[in-house]
Amino acid sequence: MTNHWIDLKNSDAILAIGCNPAENHPISFKWIEAAMDNGGKLLAVDPRFTRTASKADHYAQIRPGTDIAYLGGMINYALQNNLTHKEYVAEYTNASFIVNDKFEFEEGIFCAFDDQEKTYDPKAWAYEVDAAGVARRDKSLQDPRCVYQQMKKHFSRYSVDMVCSVTGTNKDDYLAVAKAFCATGRPDKAGTILYAMGITQSTHGTQNVRAVAMLQMLLGNIGIAGGGVNALRGESNVQGSTDYGLLFHILPGYLKSPEYDNVDLKAYLDKWTPKTKDPKSANWWGNTPKYTVSLLKAWYGDNATPENSFCYDYLPKRSGNYSFVKLMEKMGRGELQGLVCMGQNPAVGGPDSLATRDALGKLDWLVTVDLWETETSIFWKRPGVNPKEIKTEVFMLPAASSVEKEGSISNSGRWAQWRYKAAEPVGEAKSDLWIIDKFFQGVRKAYQKGGVFPEPVTKLAWNYGNHEEPDVHLVAKEINGYFTKDTTIVDKDKTLEFKKGDQVPMFKYLQDDGSTVSGCWIYCGSYTKDGNQMARRDAADPTGLGMFPKWSWCWPVNRRIIYNRASVNPDGIPYNAKRAVIAWDLVEKKWKGDVPDGPWPPLNDKEGKHPFIMVPEGHGRLYALDLKDGPFPEHYEPIESPAKNLFSRTQTNPAVKIPANMTSDTNKYPFIGTTYRMTEHWQAGAMTRSLPWLVELVPTMFVEISETLARTKGVNNGDQVRITTERGSIEAKALVTSRLKPFNVQGKMVEQVGLPWHFGYAGLATGDSGNVLTPSVGCANTSIPEFKAFLCNIEKGGKRA
Amino acid sequence: MTAAKIIMNEIKGYHNFVKFLIVLVSAGAVASLARFVFGLGVTTNLNDTFPWGLWISFDVVTAVPLAAGAFTLGAIVHCFHIKKLEPLVRPAIVTGFLGYSLVSVGLLLDLGQPHRGWHTLVYWNPHSPMFEVSMCIMAYSTVLFLEFLSPVCEKFGYHVPLRLLRTIEMPLVIAAASISTLHQSSLGTFFLIAVDKLHSLWYNPLLPLLFWISAMCAGISIIIVEATMSHKWMGQPDESELLETLAKILPYVLTLYLTAKLFSLFALTEGPLFDRPGLVALFAVEMIAGVLAPLVMLMNGSVRENNRLRSTAAWLVITGVILNRFNVSMFGMMEKGTMYYPSFIESVVTIGIIAAHILFFVLIAKYFPIFEHHPETVDYSIPDTFHKTGKGHAAPAKGVGSEA
Amino acid sequence: MSDLTNDFSKNKAFLIDMTKCTGCRGCQVACKQWNQLEAEKTEFFTGEGYQNPPLMSEYTFTRIKFRDYEKNGQNEFAFYKEMCMHCNDPACASVCPVGAFVKTKKGPVTYDAKRCIGCRFCMVACPFGVPKYEWSKAFPLVRKCTGCYSRVKEGQKPACATTCPSAITYGNRDEMIKEANKRIATRPEKYLKKLYGAEEAGGTSVIYLTALPFDELGFKHVTKRPLPSYTWQALRLVPGIFLTVGGSLSLLSWFTHRKDRLKKEAEQRDASEKAPKEES
Repeated sequence: MTNHWIDLKNSDAILAIGCNPAENHPISFKWIEAAMDNGGKLLAVDPRFTRTASKADHYAQIRPGTDIAYLGGMINYALQNNLTHKEYVAEYTNASFIVNDKFEFEEGIFCAFDDQEKTYDPKAWAYEVDAAGVARRDKSLQDPRCVYQQMKKHFSRYSVDMVCSVTGTNKDDYLAVAKAFCATGRPDKAGTILYAMGITQSTHGTQNVRAVAMLQMLLGNIGIAGGGVNALRGESNVQGSTDYGLLFHILPGYLKSPEYDNVDLKAYLDKWTPKTKDPKSANWWGNTPKYTVSLLKAWYGDNATPENSFCYDYLPKRSGNYSFVKLMEKMGRGELQGLVCMGQNPAVGGPDSLATRDALGKLDWLVTVDLWETETSIFWKRPGVNPKEIKTEVFMLPAASSVEKEGSISNSGRWAQWRYKAAEPVGEAKSDLWIIDKFFQGVRKAYQKGGVFPEPVTKLAWNYGNHEEPDVHLVAKEINGYFTKDTTIVDKDKTLEFKKGDQVPMFKYLQDDGSTVSGCWIYCGSYTKDGNQMARRDAADPTGLGMFPKWSWCWPVNRRIIYNRASVNPDGIPYNAKRAVIAWDLVEKKWKGDVPDGPWPPLNDKEGKHPFIMVPEGHGRLYALDLKDGPFPEHYEPIESPAKNLFSRTQTNPAVKIPANMTSDTNKYPFIGTTYRMTEHWQAGAMTRSLPWLVELVPTMFVEISETLARTKGVNNGDQVRITTERGSIEAKALVTSRLKPFNVQGKMVEQVGLPWHFGYAGLATGDSGNVLTPSVGCANTSIPEFKAFLCNIEKGGKRA
Repeated sequence: MTAAKIIMNEIKGYHNFVKFLIVLVSAGAVASLARFVFGLGVTTNLNDTFPWGLWISFDVVTAVPLAAGAFTLGAIVHCFHIKKLEPLVRPAIVTGFLGYSLVSVGLLLDLGQPHRGWHTLVYWNPHSPMFEVSMCIMAYSTVLFLEFLSPVCEKFGYHVPLRLLRTIEMPLVIAAASISTLHQSSLGTFFLIAVDKLHSLWYNPLLPLLFWISAMCAGISIIIVEATMSHKWMGQPDESELLETLAKILPYVLTLYLTAKLFSLFALTEGPLFDRPGLVALFAVEMIAGVLAPLVMLMNGSVRENNRLRSTAAWLVITGVILNRFNVSMFGMMEKGTMYYPSFIESVVTIGIIAAHILFFVLIAKYFPIFEHHPETVDYSIPDTFHKTGKGHAAPAKGVGSEA
Repeated sequence: MSDLTNDFSKNKAFLIDMTKCTGCRGCQVACKQWNQLEAEKTEFFTGEGYQNPPLMSEYTFTRIKFRDYEKNGQNEFAFYKEMCMHCNDPACASVCPVGAFVKTKKGPVTYDAKRCIGCRFCMVACPFGVPKYEWSKAFPLVRKCTGCYSRVKEGQKPACATTCPSAITYGNRDEMIKEANKRIATRPEKYLKKLYGAEEAGGTSVIYLTALPFDELGFKHVTKRPLPSYTWQALRLVPGIFLTVGGSLSLLSWFTHRKDRLKKEAEQRDASEKAPKEES
């Protein structure tokens, strides 16, 4: 999130699209309802009338996969009705930047598209630069080649009627939502957009988020209290996992993972360190070398020296897409020897479950680390399979639960909250830290005896104490970082002396010469000489905005609302004095309130800087430069769709290759399938389907269908039904409800089938897995599968009826 | 011979009907055991929607008024001094004593913690009608027991206790009537709290009064029926004359009931009366068959004098009271769309209890001086032996009780 | 026996705003966890929406009832938290022959399992249908929401109130009613203008705010008079009736036996008069 959970109470309008906070983040509803008590409006946009919709002021039905049409329509609505925050757009976004004259867009395709490879060359979308290499701008926003005009033209095609005919939304509902939300374009109003997997799990998921961000920038909602682009993360510490680089394409702190053509440290840093010629642009990623070197020092310690490029050569160099889907495909081809699944259950959680379960059987060995036996750990004895025919050696390591170990959990609001150990692990269960420590020790021991290229393992600095359980505080301290030698740093008018071993107080003091260590630069400041900041529990809230600056610690540098320089005008005066996040004190010449997003004076001061410090031009990108599928979001249909794309002749995202097991044959699969979660169960169900109190609430796999679909198929509430897609078929009980309704798709009513994906064959409560049905095709940028929109068929009955 | 052998020989000599009763009672005992082995949930059709079922409705709420003859007749004979009805008193007391004892049996089965039944003696809640009823029933059972001791003492010739009992006879009768008034009416008070649950056809503030009056109607009717049947089947004296007199009293009590009921229905009841056709039907049967028909019949002298018709009228009243108690405690409490019916075990237990009542009545009548008369001329000071007087009545006919 | 202090304003009470409830069932699970109640065996949902279990029972002291229907073309997905109402003058306490229920000064109506004889009168009496029975046991006891008395007397909030993110507020009864009325006054378009539980059964410790009419959500219609008053108006006559009946019958007996007594006295006098005559 750009903001955080409690900040939701400051909103005047909360747009919940592609998410269901009442069901999947129930505690957040405390803050949403606080906003509503103050007159804030909750707007729920969802294919189903969920528990969130039941509380909303307005509900709008949306066909799965049509979020860009929906949001694009709101962008157009805001532009056409002059509801944007004009100064914010002109000063803080790249609206005024001029796009190069080769840029064009035709029938759903942007320029520089390679039809064979299905890729774009993003360089073709660059800004027009002057002789000095600085991007040209038109602050009046009139130049037809400026981003503002290009965007206006692009979204002029997203009229309300057009949009509603694509999304299937009732026009009155659409306008009610648009009106209520776009009213937050006023400087004294705040609108927040909450989103989750409904937005991201699409072949154009990244562009969905882009549309959210664009709308928020146009309305001046980023950086203000009660505003922001707020992802509701799906697991309690997934924020932590992405922060620490668990995704294949990043290193800790969202540094890029080296690719095969980043041959050495210099090449890597040259490629990935952005540059700017604008003295008012902070270009914070320009510090990439400092963070990279500090990370390498954390990993290789004294072995990492300037001479050996800090052991950069020991890092694996990626040569492609190692995302989950690709891994499963590789595994299916028998190209993976072994797999370690820590707290992950691919047999249920990933798309196309049947293929994944078969693929697991091609491994030589599998290690699962979990609290319970999961479907993945017992894939070899799943129903319908003869264990004798499976050659995979499976190890199951029992893991301690989160209350049985000490450490931090980073929530969606970037708050890293330290937790103490409340109970001893059961039986032989161990913490993940212990398990990884033992893995490392075992692997290092094996490499010490020989092997191909042992140094990346044997040279690792691994200093987490001498006890059986590694000391998580040592890990945390290393993540924060410390000085490797006595260092003097001059920071403006201050001279700071640090001794070797001192914790680094904040990431601006990290160095690229090896004098600092930091396991994850964004957490620099979380564990300082004043102690573990993440464990703070001071409930003071001086601004009344719910920032609680001394409760735990959030990254970066405990800044609760990021991009908050955009909450003030270029003179540093808050756009909304009643909800001032930061304000420039002219007397003391400093910022009051939240940690400012850069300590520099307001923009108009000669030392001032632009608010969007993480992009090189310092301006929020209405027009993106570096995504795989275009600078502007454009509506495409999901890969499996019952409708023709009305916006252009390009049916689906051109940058996405369509795999084999997909079809849009509506004769075979006439209904739209979508997956979702419930309050009562969690993810792949390992954590909840063995708890009797939760099983009592939701005991069995079920699907939700509309009353009309039920009538057509002769299905009563509670009947057994069979749902089929090109990937496979499952059985479930049917829940017939008026909360699901068919979509009006270009005049034809198309039904939907709603599927929770929590169930599997392991645990106390079993059932078929929703993901047997889902497609593995994914987002052009992130590869996240298109779980939310596919085609299916449903019939009454089944083998277990 | 050993005691067991003596008992077995006795039983072998019993009439088949008595043997059949023994079977029913045994079955009831086995079913009761099942309640303890398997629990109430499994053996009954009781559940959270219907916490009270057949055992409460019949074995408590119905059985109590059916045993009301004891106090009613006691008051009529000893307080109103209608001495000619004296011969009917002892059988009534036996009926009462057995009835109340079996109410306790039924209750003990129905309670979740029967071994804690004594708690009402120690933990008091005067606000609870059930506390009041349980205190009263314990007191009254004691009174009945003391009254029953008279024939026992006479049988075994315990003269000193007998003299004591004879001395306190009046106070006992008055106590019996007072206590019975309280608990007969309080059984109605039970349901005053079910204000949103019991249907308006029965719910009104006069429920306790109505229960008391109908208890007296039931008591009198049971005596008529029991005397008629013990003459017909057990060879006991023909008390037709006495029953005629009783039958004359009954219509007055029935009229009192009808008046009170109509008043309460039309002046004191809120809420819809005719919205549940099933309940309206039950109410109609209860009032017409149970009150109006017998009232009309008994106002006619020839009915009162005809054994069969008089008996029929009494049966109608009894049926009416049973139906009334079931209407109040079961049918009228059923929310629309819900239903309770007793399980097999519940039914076997209740049938066993009814069979036990009849069985023990027959056996007590056989072995103790219950039906022998006490004409006014007999000296009620200490007797040495008990004299059977045959004045004005036929010798016992061959039948159940008279043969060994 | 109910602890009849007539001022209930400082009792602890629940304010449950059903317009804020999202039907998450955190309260149901927290209650089961605190009271260590068994989970019930369910096969599918039992009612509208995701409702489970089908009813409150010996294993379920509180339950969210779901409503999933359409009204005037709009979807209504609404929730109602069933629980013990902890009445000011509880029917259960008044009918229990052994006084197993107590209306504590703090507010919760507690049940003393050690006293209970299992007669189930409380189940018949409670207008809200709250007390449930251990049908699964051979010697069953009554089970119901304890009002988390063990927590409340230590100054904590009940488990359900602690877990609920937004709908349940817990505090002094007068403050809860004040807050409820304040919410209605501030957002009149949002709320039904009546509170449930403020006056029902003579006043309870669970005050509900709703948007939908009570009967649509499943609230029972309950009299506003305290239920024990219906019984008491008859029971208070007991001593009087006893004395009246006993007294009247005694008086009657004295009169009706008078003739006999006089006759006997006359006979005795005759006998004693006669005897001396015969002697002479």
